[in-house]
Formats: sequence, C-alpha cells, structure tokens
Amino acid sequence: MATFLATYDFLLVSMVLAAVLALTLYLPLMAGQLSVASPGFYALGGYIAAILSTKVFHPGPGLYPIQLVLVEMVAAAVVSGILGLVVGLPALRLRGIFLALATIAFVQILGVVALNLQVTGGAIGIFGIPQPFSNQLSYMWVALPLLLLSMLFVARLERSRTGRALVALREDELAAAAMGVSPTYYKVLAFTTSAVLAGMVGAVSAHFINTWNSRQGTFDTSVNLMAFVLVGGSRTFVGPVVGGLVLTALPEALRGIADVGGLPGWLAQFLRDGRLIIFGVLIALGTVFFPQGLITPGLLRHLGRRRRVPHS
Amino acid sequence: MLNGLAIGSVYAIFALGYTLIFSVLRIINFTHGAIFTLGAYAAYALTGSPLGINGLLAGLTLPFRLPFVLALVGGSIVAAVCGVIVERLAFRPLRARGADPLLSLVSSLGVAVALVNITQYLFGAEPYSYPDPLASLPSAVNFGTAGQPVLVRTVQVVIFAVSMVMLALLTYLMNATRTGKALRAVAEDTTTSSLLGIDTDRLILLTFIISGFLGGVTGTLIGLSVGIAGPYFGIAFGLKGLAVIVLGGLGDIPGAVVGGLIIGLAEAFVPAQHIAYREAVPFALLFIVLLVRPQGLLGRAQVQKV
Amino acid sequence: MSVAPAVAPGGAPALDLLEVDDVTCTFGGVVAVNAVSFRVPRGELFGLIGPNGAGKTTLFNIVTGLTAPSAGHLRYQDEDITGLPPHRIASRGIARTFQNVRLFGELSALENVMIARHVRTRSGLVSGVLGMGSARREEQATRERAAALLALVGLADRPEERARNFSYGDQRRLEIARALALEPELLLLDEPAAGMNPGEKRALSDLIRSVRSRLGLTILLIEHHVPLVMDLCDRIAVLNFGQLIALGPPAEVRKSPAVIEAYLGDEA
Repeated sequence: MATFLATYDFLLVSMVLAAVLALTLYLPLMAGQLSVASPGFYALGGYIAAILSTKVFHPGPGLYPIQLVLVEMVAAAVVSGILGLVVGLPALRLRGIFLALATIAFVQILGVVALNLQVTGGAIGIFGIPQPFSNQLSYMWVALPLLLLSMLFVARLERSRTGRALVALREDELAAAAMGVSPTYYKVLAFTTSAVLAGMVGAVSAHFINTWNSRQGTFDTSVNLMAFVLVGGSRTFVGPVVGGLVLTALPEALRGIADVGGLPGWLAQFLRDGRLIIFGVLIALGTVFFPQGLITPGLLRHLGRRRRVPHS
Repeated sequence: MLNGLAIGSVYAIFALGYTLIFSVLRIINFTHGAIFTLGAYAAYALTGSPLGINGLLAGLTLPFRLPFVLALVGGSIVAAVCGVIVERLAFRPLRARGADPLLSLVSSLGVAVALVNITQYLFGAEPYSYPDPLASLPSAVNFGTAGQPVLVRTVQVVIFAVSMVMLALLTYLMNATRTGKALRAVAEDTTTSSLLGIDTDRLILLTFIISGFLGGVTGTLIGLSVGIAGPYFGIAFGLKGLAVIVLGGLGDIPGAVVGGLIIGLAEAFVPAQHIAYREAVPFALLFIVLLVRPQGLLGRAQVQKV
Repeated sequence: MSVAPAVAPGGAPALDLLEVDDVTCTFGGVVAVNAVSFRVPRGELFGLIGPNGAGKTTLFNIVTGLTAPSAGHLRYQDEDITGLPPHRIASRGIARTFQNVRLFGELSALENVMIARHVRTRSGLVSGVLGMGSARREEQATRERAAALLALVGLADRPEERARNFSYGDQRRLEIARALALEPELLLLDEPAAGMNPGEKRALSDLIRSVRSRLGLTILLIEHHVPLVMDLCDRIAVLNFGQLIALGPPAEVRKSPAVIEAYLGDEA
C-alpha cells in the first residue's frame, strides 16, 4: 500500500484536483450554460498564489507555512470572484453557442496576457514556488477537503431553492423567468461561484506543480473538463467528480499497460501518448450517444434502490 | 498593410469553408481546422516528400510524386472525404435527434482534437515544408514603382487571388444556381425542404464536400506560405477562425472574407511595442463583437420566437 | 362595443386590475398587435378569442413581459409595467400558462410547482447551502404548499413523477398548479383546454371557476373552444389580425357582425 501511494502520489492528488475543476464546469451547466471559462480563473488563481508566495510573502528556509497557502486561496477566490462578476454580467446575456465562444475567447485573451506580463514571468512563467509539504502526497491534506467541501456545497445547492432556480433555467429559461426566476442573477451566480472555485484550485495547484506559466489553464484544459463532464455525467454532481477522477487516472493506466510489454510498438506508443485522441473521441461519443454522461440521476436512484432491497 | 491583407486573405479562405457549413446547417464545425490540417499533410505526402521522423509513419514516402497543383487537388479531395466521414459520424446522429447546435459544437470539438492528435501521431509534430512549386515564378511581386518597391511574396498574391476567386464562386453558387437556392432552403428549414422534395441529405453532403475541399486548399496554400508547423496549427486556426466568422456574421459568405481581412489588418496594425499581444487581438474582437453585435457585421439580427 | 369596466357583483364600481392601453407590437414587417386597448377589473373572468394568428398569444407575451410592445402602455394595479422583464412581472403577481405547455420536463410534478414559489420565498445561496433553520423551514413550507396545489388540480397522486411523463391533459393541469404557486392576482391561461376531450373540458371549466372564487383571482383566458369561453367568461374580447374588433358580454359578442364575419369559414 505504502509503495502504491508513494509511486502514485502525484497522480492521486492530480485526480482529486481535476475532480474539483470538473465541478467548475458543472456549476454553470446546472443553469444550462456551457462556459469553458474556468481554465482562465484556474490560471489566474495559480498566478496569484505563485506571485504572492515568490514575490510578496518572503518565506524563510524550510516549509512554506500552510496558513499562507490558505490566504492565497482566499485571495485567489476573491479576485476570481470579482473578475467573474465583471466578465459574467455582460457575457451571460449571451446564450448557447455565443456564450461558449465568448468564454473560449476569454481564456485565449488571458493566456496571451499572461504570456506577456512582467509579473507573470512572461513565457517562462514563475518557478520555484515554495512547498508547504515535504512530499507530494501530503497535498491531499488540502486537496481532499477541498473536493469534499465542494461536493457537499454542490450537493446541498442541488437541493435548495437556488439549485431549483438553476435547473429551471436549464430546462426552460423563458418559462423559468415567467415563474419569477431572474435569469441574469442566477446565471451570473453560477458563473461567479464556478470562477471562485476554479481560482482556489489554481492556487493549490501552483504550489503542487511547483511552477506556473501560460501553459496552465488553456483551451486544452477546457477540452479535459468537457471530457470529464460529458463522460462522467452532466446531470448530477457525482458525474463530473467521477469523470475527473477516472479520466485523469486513465492515461496513467494506459501507460502502465503499454509498459507491460509484448504489445506492438505502435499500440504501445498510442497508449502512452494518445490521451488527447481518447478524450476527443470520448467527447464526440459522449455527445452523440450519452449526452447525459455515464452517471445519471436515474442510475443513482437505481443504485439507491438496489441497496435497500436485500432487507425485504 | 499589404501584410495585413495577405494574412487576412488566409483567414478569409479558411473562414469560407467554416461559415459555409454554418450557413446551411446552423452549426459550427470545429473540425474544419483539423480537416484543413489533414489536407495539408495529404498534399505534402502526395508530392512524394518523405514524412518526418517523429510520427508513426516516419520516413515513409509515397511511391509516386505528383506535381504540386495535382497534389493540392489530391490533398483537398482527401480533406473533402474526411469531411464527409466526420459528418456521418459526428453530426448526422445529432441532427437526426434535433439536438441543440451547441452539442454539435462540442462534438465537433472532440473530433477535431482527436483528429489533430491522430495526425500528430501519424506524421509527427515537426515542421514540414513543400518542395517549391513556384520556382519558375519570381519570388515576389512588386506593387510599387521601381524607385519605391513594395514587394509582396508571390505566394501571398496567389492566396489573395484564390480567396477572391473562391468568394466569387461561392457567392455565385449560393445566389445564382438552383443548387444554391436549394442549399438556402435547407438552411431556412430542413424539414420543409425535404417535404418539398429537396434531397437534403445529398445537399448536406455536398456542403461538407465543398467545405472540406476548401479546407484542404487553404491548408496546403498556408503550408506553402509559412510551412506546416505541426498539426496543432489546425486547432489554432480553428479557434481564430471562430473570431473571423463571428465578426463577419455567422453563415454569411462575404462576411467570412470581410471578417478575415479585418482581423488580418487588425493584427498587422498592432503597434510594435505591443506586438506580443497580437495573438489576443482576434479574441478580443470576438468577445467585443459577441457582446455588442452578435450577428456580426454583415449578419442579420435574429428574432427569437416565443 | 363597450369598453367601460364591468360592475362587480355587489354593485360598487370595481378597481381595474389590468389596463392595456393602445398596445401595438410589430415583428419585422408584421403588425401582430394593433393598437389594442381594454381594461380588466378585479375579479373578472375575461376571455380573449379570435382566429389563429390574431395576436392573442402575442398579447399575453406582452402582458407577461416576454415581448416588449412597440408602442402603448400596460398598467397593473395602477403601476406602469410596460417593458418590465418577465421575472419582475411574475413577482408582481401575474402568472400564466403557455399555449405549448412549457413545463420543466425532467423535473417532478412537485418540483415544477415548487419552482414557482420562487418569488414568494427568499432563502438565498448561503442559507440554502448551509441548511440554516430558516431555509429548512421555508423549504418545508414550499413543499407543503406545492403538494396542496397539486391536490387542488387533482394531481396529488403522483408528485414525484417526471412532468414529461404526464398525459397532455394532465400536463395542462400541472401548468395551472404551477402558475397558481406564484400566488398571483392575475392569471393568464393560454388555451388551457387544447387537446382535451369533452369530459376533461368540463372538469377544466369547473376548476377555473373554483379557482377563481376560492382564490379571488382575475383571469384572462385565451381559448379556441368557443362554447367554453361563452360559458365561463364575464366579458370577451375578440381579436382579428391584431385588432380588437369586439368587446363585451358573451351574448353581445356572439351577435356582433364583425365577429361573425371574422369567423366565417372558421369552426365556431
């Protein structure tokens, strides 16, 4: 067990962080909005943490105090929230494809800006970000609570008046408005909450990955997130979490199979490098055959019922 | 400024194929970028040149070599065929379900990412360049006077000329031919059109063939102009192309050219000290246009029926 | 054609709840609603009929804020509501059903009705997520209210069933329950009897009457089934090509030559 954890420490934490990030795509989707803006806020959060820890807080030798990481997370949350409001208020008047395009544009613009500012380190980015833990696995102390709390948040949200409003908007925005639900308010709420969460994940990730540059939080990330949600499930919060965990682990598992040996060279190489091919195909298959993803509310209800049956 | 027009006409031809699909099917076909890449690589292979060392097909060379123009056409045919296959697999099932166009965008995004990475897997990621087909022509055309030469690379002139020809041909097709009228009928209302006896499936097929062929032509010409810098430039073009077609007006054919030229010029006019931000220009324009005038410059405002 | 407000039972002059004042609506080149004016006093059951495409639903859309008029004004309880967005109009107490039923298909019947409680409840993101006492009490109250409304329209037996699984007639009743959850004072019903058999139509008629008297509602009703309208309504307005061609009690409207001509060739 110990060697397993030691070998896969980086992977396990990455899986957990990916699951949280998947939830950031899920939140606007609850209101029927496809927004791929969260990679932008993720990048922003990472830069905030990186800049604060390397240039503002001057830590002494030894481990970086965990309280400061938490402070950075709060800072990232606040800044992302404000930017989310500023961008969201005008952008969320757009619907469907137009909103998706606007969020794509947003991420691209942020990427170019990050590539060129002095403070973000330009093309090289920021490296040598201080570590609050002595090994990678210990990041679970931050990542896992973050995941669990976000899951709890979204689960409770789904059952609340606010969650109902979001779902009503997703089902039929016009009818929801006619029933008194303000579309702009709730769409912006979902968008901003998503931005805040993405910013926090970014802040943690910056420390976890140790360097941060404009290659974090790009269109590529949007593709990953879409795969997580489309495959995992878009109608319940469990879906994106499972999608994020499994699809982050999948490339590693495939790599493992490739390394076992005995496979023809081309197949082995495909298994090693074919992550994006697989994700792309999964996204396409998902939209065509499983638009609700694998984990649907129906499945959850079914599983819930099956567990109770043996007591009859 | 001429540089801007040159770049702009590159964007314009790319956008023509992109917007053609939207004009008929009301969906954004993100695979256009991937198909244009495939066309470029196919044309390259058809010129009999050796494939790079990084991909699966490393070192492979076709047993024949075609002159450039034929390779261009051949590559574009390959692209067109790919377009048709993509349509069958990724779009038709969604269309049959009456799914929201947003799902088609996502599905095409998945296919595009997969295709580009498959291309990379097969051909490797290093740059390629075509054997020079224009060797017999002067390398540049002089638009100025002998005393004050304004030189433009021949290939860029060719690209500009091709884009204008394509624009003219497509406009003629859409407005003056029976097929064009049928296409526009399908764009208005697919169900009614098929009830009126229009073979919508065949027309949609035709649209994808034209769009794919255009994509292949574009890809090869761009590859000729700047070299093929690896399959990922298909995604980059796909993204930038979004800005072009939205700016011009989704589905509007002259709009694609207008949008392309404007973005090309805008990029060219970025002042030197901010040159690093040039890549953000198309997306900033996209964002602004979406907020201010989502139907684009030449598009009509859409009235939503309740 | 009388435009004066009807006198409420009891003799005293009624307060006008809704005032439609010279409202016009143009789409592209088409004039969907042409300078229509009328007033609806509190408590009235007001019918709106006319051939297809006469502008009835467009008028409803204007009153509920889904469409903005090109000209004219709307007043509700003496407040100018012209141009307000739909959710603000809903919060002022105007609810509606739709010509093509627009339920939240994936949600249960109960959830559909609960959503419409939105403007009468207040718990926000934080209190909802944290599960604070006030939010939980409110949630319970919402649930009970919704269940009661389902019972009122006769759908109490399947609260958890998904709305899209209900029969067409039941969906229409569910939509009415949902609209009532808003606690409106003005209820707009857009062809509520469409697709119902005669028995269902009678039940609907009874439901509308009972809802009106028990909840003290003012009701605007668009209907194609003319006997239903003649039977239920205090006054009827007739639209044709966007224009108001008759307005008055059913007996009067039935005899109006303009109305007869408009319906010539249409089934009555």
